[in-house]
Amino acid sequence: MPAAEVKASRRIEVPLNRVEGDLEIRVELQDGCVADAWSSGTLYRGIENMLVGRGSYDGLVITPRVCGICGTAHLTAAAMALDQITGASPPANGILARHLALLTEHLQSDVRHAELMFFADFVNPAYANCALHSEAVRRFAPFQGRAVVEAIKETRKVIEIIAILGGQWPHSSYMVPGGVSTVPKKNEILRCRHLLGQFRAWYEHRILGCSCARWAAIQSCADLDAWLDESLAHRAGDLGFFMRFAREASLDRIGRGHGNFLCFGQCAIPAGSAVRGPGGKSDCLVPGGFARGETVLPFDQEKVAEHVAHSWYEDYAGGRHPFDGVTRPFASGAEGRKYSWAKAPRYDGQPAETGPLAEMIVSGHPLFRDLVARGGPNVFVRELARLVRPVALFPAMEQWFAEIGPDEKFYTAPPRVEDGRGFGGTEASRGALGHWVKIAGGRIERYQIITPTAWNGSPRDSEGVRGPWEEALVGTPVKDPENPVELGHVIRSFDACLVCTVHTLEGRRALARTRI
Amino acid sequence: MTVNLYWMQCGGCGGDTMSLLNADAPDLLDALAALDVRVLWHPSLSSASPAQHIELIECILGEELPLDIFCVEGAVVRGPTGTGLFETFAGRPKKDLVARLASKARFVVAVGTCASFGGISADCAAEACGLQFLKWEKGGFLGRDFAARSGLPVVNLPGCPCHPDVVTGTLMALVQGAQVALDAYNTPSEWYGMLVHQGCTRNEYHEYRVEERDFGEKGCLFFHMGCQGPLAHGPCNKLLWNRRNSKTRAGTPCFGCTRPGFPQEEPFFQTPNIEELPLVLPEGVDRAHYMAYKGMAAAAAPQRLKDRRTEV
Repeated sequence: MPAAEVKASRRIEVPLNRVEGDLEIRVELQDGCVADAWSSGTLYRGIENMLVGRGSYDGLVITPRVCGICGTAHLTAAAMALDQITGASPPANGILARHLALLTEHLQSDVRHAELMFFADFVNPAYANCALHSEAVRRFAPFQGRAVVEAIKETRKVIEIIAILGGQWPHSSYMVPGGVSTVPKKNEILRCRHLLGQFRAWYEHRILGCSCARWAAIQSCADLDAWLDESLAHRAGDLGFFMRFAREASLDRIGRGHGNFLCFGQCAIPAGSAVRGPGGKSDCLVPGGFARGETVLPFDQEKVAEHVAHSWYEDYAGGRHPFDGVTRPFASGAEGRKYSWAKAPRYDGQPAETGPLAEMIVSGHPLFRDLVARGGPNVFVRELARLVRPVALFPAMEQWFAEIGPDEKFYTAPPRVEDGRGFGGTEASRGALGHWVKIAGGRIERYQIITPTAWNGSPRDSEGVRGPWEEALVGTPVKDPENPVELGHVIRSFDACLVCTVHTLEGRRALARTRI
Repeated sequence: MTVNLYWMQCGGCGGDTMSLLNADAPDLLDALAALDVRVLWHPSLSSASPAQHIELIECILGEELPLDIFCVEGAVVRGPTGTGLFETFAGRPKKDLVARLASKARFVVAVGTCASFGGISADCAAEACGLQFLKWEKGGFLGRDFAARSGLPVVNLPGCPCHPDVVTGTLMALVQGAQVALDAYNTPSEWYGMLVHQGCTRNEYHEYRVEERDFGEKGCLFFHMGCQGPLAHGPCNKLLWNRRNSKTRAGTPCFGCTRPGFPQEEPFFQTPNIEELPLVLPEGVDRAHYMAYKGMAAAAAPQRLKDRRTEV
């Protein structure tokens, strides 16, 4: 290696906060830019080894506890897998009572992530000379900023909906094969509608700075620019402020990534419902799919495989489908090659990013199609997609609350509990979530979970291809390696949640037999 | 006087923090402001750079900065084979940092069942344990004789997650110098000296032994559905969750998530029975008397309960 190149090159390791869980990023800097990146999940919980051998319904209790912020999504996936295994057909009320809690979880998560975790970087001293810095401090300073205080207040109100429907949040287990355990009364449904309406009003006033209808009219980049210029209220909302800050900080120029998008889809629309998905379709609120460029292919769970070549697990060749997955932790050996407790999931052999932006792209949202076509995926577009996702959720939720028939059933007993396997796939707040479950003799034989952050934060696969945010980091300029705020923007634009990197051992307490 | 608080997340799910954000009257920020608590660090909420964070830790360890309250969320990860490499911070086992910070703190608070007793992680390959307990057994990571500088052992606030009012209430008591009475598992008896069963809207169904065998009904969940309300200590049905509801009110059995043994080995959603009576009876109850009492209670059950006409 030429001497000059060695001199310009520097490796830094960055432990990252304001993500859920333990994450360290190692990057190689050359001439002030990231030349290469390694994402290392630094926590191994081995949570599902305890599921193996347990009662067939235990996933409903244990898996929501994989993640404190998206437990409702885990519960949804666990219940869907068990619906399949038991042959259950939940009544429409049961389906809606599940959907409404899941979508409420998205509302709180999108807002809490943006206001408490992503925007806090705008307060960073790196932006002290930025004209918008003092305003950013007023809004987003940890524990004090106006937007922080309000976001905590409003999100805790809206998730009362989940408590009414499901007993509590976080960590409810009210979804069961065949529907839900709860039977909400008319008045409780009315209160849910009221809580939703209040939250929507606040969201429109403080975040959008306009009505949801006005925002939904934006179809292109040109429309977006015109919207920002249209009124003071648009520029003053947290969304408008984010757009203005993002321009100053050039957030649209960093965090590009592979350009592959994966979405498992969510919320099957029950027969007779007036809710419609993208393009007026009546099957689900958000379709599943894999997108690259203009092409969108339907999602097929058979195409999912996990690699471990660079993960601290015993090696196997290539990738394995989750129904056949093995996970044996292996903390030493292969030094230098293995670097993460996260496995590397791939779709049809390719890495893919997942989350609200992937939902927008797979759903064919014209604004986000246009933004990605012009500037590629990037930090700005990713966070924008998250911040405006609620716009499309409100009308569907309002309609579904109106469609719940409190005098009808919320639960239909499943016809059987027998051996079999099932897949439960949905969108968690930060992207595609899948549970692959095998039941034998009334007990769990295998339980594999692939979380959104397993996709986004994956290490390299057996072909040496980087994971999505590793790829997105490459090319990012870092002004001050002691305070690499730019790296934080890139990672947090994926809404990283590292507690999600959980793995299955083959048998209970299998580690005792595994030599480390 | 300003009170310094450091919050660490270990082997857990972050759910106790998410739950804490749901606190109300006072909410988290109001409570911190009223008590003049300065949060030196919280992994989900702080904005200091990684370099500043490491400097902060060094200041605490060097006793240049007093650490008044050290909150730990999540279990201490000791695996594999005692190395702690399943969870690292800046390349070193995080458990070592837990021990060093605990030795400097005036109060150490275990927030949630994982930090208190090991919880879910304790059954896994992570070889995780609670700060001063491993399941029912005293000792845990810091050892049975550990005492924080105040003289108090680790204050355990179990629950999966811990109820937010219990966290803010404990912080208020500690900061204001109130006596915090602890029970055998070092949990404040104010909240853990009661059972989840107390305040459940299905209590009358329980009383007359009108029981359910499937979901979506109004009767008691204790006899067949695996509810641990009469065994688990906690204020769920007094304080309610998110000010609205509780699992048992919503027809979901209590899973006993505050208990040191959580999660139980037996399948959830079922109650192991002997002669149609639960194998494990409500806390402190004598079997022979209970059989006689419940037999008579069932015979005395009014028709409105048998018909499930009484709302819950």
